[in-house]
Amino acid sequence: MKLYVKAQSSYRGNLDASEIKKELKTKYKLDTRRQDTFIHLAVYGAQLLKDKIDISSSDELYITSGVGNIDVLQKTNKYVYKDKEFIKPFDFINMLGNTTSYYVANSLGVKDKNTFQISNNFTFINTLISVFASLSVSKNEAILGSVDLCTNPNEVIKRVLGLDEDAEVTSSVNYQKLSLSSSGAIAEVEFDTKIYSLQEVQELIKNTDLKVMASPRCKDLDSLKDNEYFETMPSFYLNKTIQENENLLYIDCFENSYKIIKIIGLA
Amino acid sequence: MSKMHSVNILDYTLLSSQGNTQETLKSIKNLSVKVLCKEVSTLNEPVKIPYYLLRDKIEENNDEIKEAIKKLIENLSIKLTAQQRAQTALLIGTSLIDRNIVESIESSVYEYKKKPYTSSKKSIDSFASEISKELKLNPFTMTISTACTSSINAVIEARNLINSGVVEYAIVVGVEIFSQMMSDGFSSMKLLSTDTQRPFDIDRDGLILGEAIAAVLVGKDSSKWSLKGAYSNCNSLNITSVSPSGEEYAEVMDKAMSFAKVTAKDITMLKTHATSTLTNDMSEINAIKKVFTSDVTFSALKPYVGHTLGACGVLELAMIMSCVDDGFIPKTLNHKESIIKEYTPLQEHKACTCGIFMLNYFGFGGNNTSVIIQKESI
Repeated sequence: MKLYVKAQSSYRGNLDASEIKKELKTKYKLDTRRQDTFIHLAVYGAQLLKDKIDISSSDELYITSGVGNIDVLQKTNKYVYKDKEFIKPFDFINMLGNTTSYYVANSLGVKDKNTFQISNNFTFINTLISVFASLSVSKNEAILGSVDLCTNPNEVIKRVLGLDEDAEVTSSVNYQKLSLSSSGAIAEVEFDTKIYSLQEVQELIKNTDLKVMASPRCKDLDSLKDNEYFETMPSFYLNKTIQENENLLYIDCFENSYKIIKIIGLA
Repeated sequence: MSKMHSVNILDYTLLSSQGNTQETLKSIKNLSVKVLCKEVSTLNEPVKIPYYLLRDKIEENNDEIKEAIKKLIENLSIKLTAQQRAQTALLIGTSLIDRNIVESIESSVYEYKKKPYTSSKKSIDSFASEISKELKLNPFTMTISTACTSSINAVIEARNLINSGVVEYAIVVGVEIFSQMMSDGFSSMKLLSTDTQRPFDIDRDGLILGEAIAAVLVGKDSSKWSLKGAYSNCNSLNITSVSPSGEEYAEVMDKAMSFAKVTAKDITMLKTHATSTLTNDMSEINAIKKVFTSDVTFSALKPYVGHTLGACGVLELAMIMSCVDDGFIPKTLNHKESIIKEYTPLQEHKACTCGIFMLNYFGFGGNNTSVIIQKESI
């Protein structure tokens, strides 16, 4: 399976929520009320993409994440279960996964398919498969946003993701506009449903001409790895490869199951 | 009929507050609906409200929910060969996608609940991949969370995966088990009835929540049931509702028919979303008026099983198939006086063994979905 990337946007770092909120209000003139940090992060990434390419109201929208809106759950859990307060309606609404994709869709003017979805451990790569399958039927183009928010204490997100206690985690949001057509594409990304064994992956690494990056979870591989972790890291490296006009074999892994994507820069 | 827009529904199974598939069918047929009670929070003090709870209680914990889901999937996958299983994706639709985070928050943040650190991931989406491995299904799994349209959107995802050649089969599961946070959230929005659900009735005053797990097997093998077309959009007035005119709902109904290459006159029966809330039912009945003439046969299923949120997509799909396979379309319970007099939901069970059916699902976050299914005459 192959998809073509028409545009991309990335934001990563120690999240400064007030700056993102300020950017959304001042630069993009967006209403940020009733939303929280996770939603602001998702909308901000979408606006960065919109700065680079025209968005059609018929573009399909996919938002994926390692754990979803952890911010609102952490806050609500505290005041409902610990402080015994009554849940606030907008906190309840923001807990629903597709609330984030609603605000993203609204900020982009997208009115067609809109979904929030998670696939265990390989959520970005499996969402690429969903996008491929849907575009094969609809013939539309798609916007794929990958959103991971790290809250304080970061032990919460590490427990949810099943990471080691000493793992470094960070927030990130990465978007691509994707199409089945190569016209105007800046990169192609190749993927499949196959789960690879360690031996198969080692064989691939040995025989590839592409640069190789591996997820920090790939402990049995000596390949280049990031020092920090967020679940949708392949989305970040897809964009980075495009920015650097390189080619890349990215390997993700969870409990001895490996998945790969191949990225070929076309710019 | 565009092959890319159609796929067959090979089998279905369900577990609702009224029991398994056969027991739920019997309860609908005999109008013998059982509703229990549950406590929810309000601004003042906790109150007991009606709640369509499963007969055999599933505790609000990960292991029991996973086992219940697995049991239903086994019901469907048992008929598949090993080769077919390897070509079967597993998709889940639920609004409970973040349930796992609560455990981690409690383990990390509160001294009184702190637990030793473990690196083991547990969530609804990890259930899908665990069950997939245990039953030797295809490794592709996905959990979709688009509020009340979650599991019907997962059915559309299954259609896409099959028609694009990614897999040959898909099992789609809708899951909704009692969640205190979810119930309190609906209570905070004053959307819960303390009495009963009255779809499209002038005296409707809210919904009653329900638990359910339901599953369908989708593929290209021959079947009497098929999904002919579907459309899902994100278009609403605000995060919780569409225009009172229902224009956004009418758009998905029209487009679903267009993709299925049928017209309103071809629709044997419309299964409405019908939450019995003031705004949703008003928008939906106005949308029905835009799309159909007043002789349309339409009904609402939530008074039989409650509003099962993310599960209602597959649950109500399985209920319609079950009733039509038994030879009837179910009447709408608790309806006395219509919002629009000329558009009254079905008042008695109606004999029906085949036809083309439209199924509506609308959710928070602007997600609106309409699907067209067909049962061929034998």
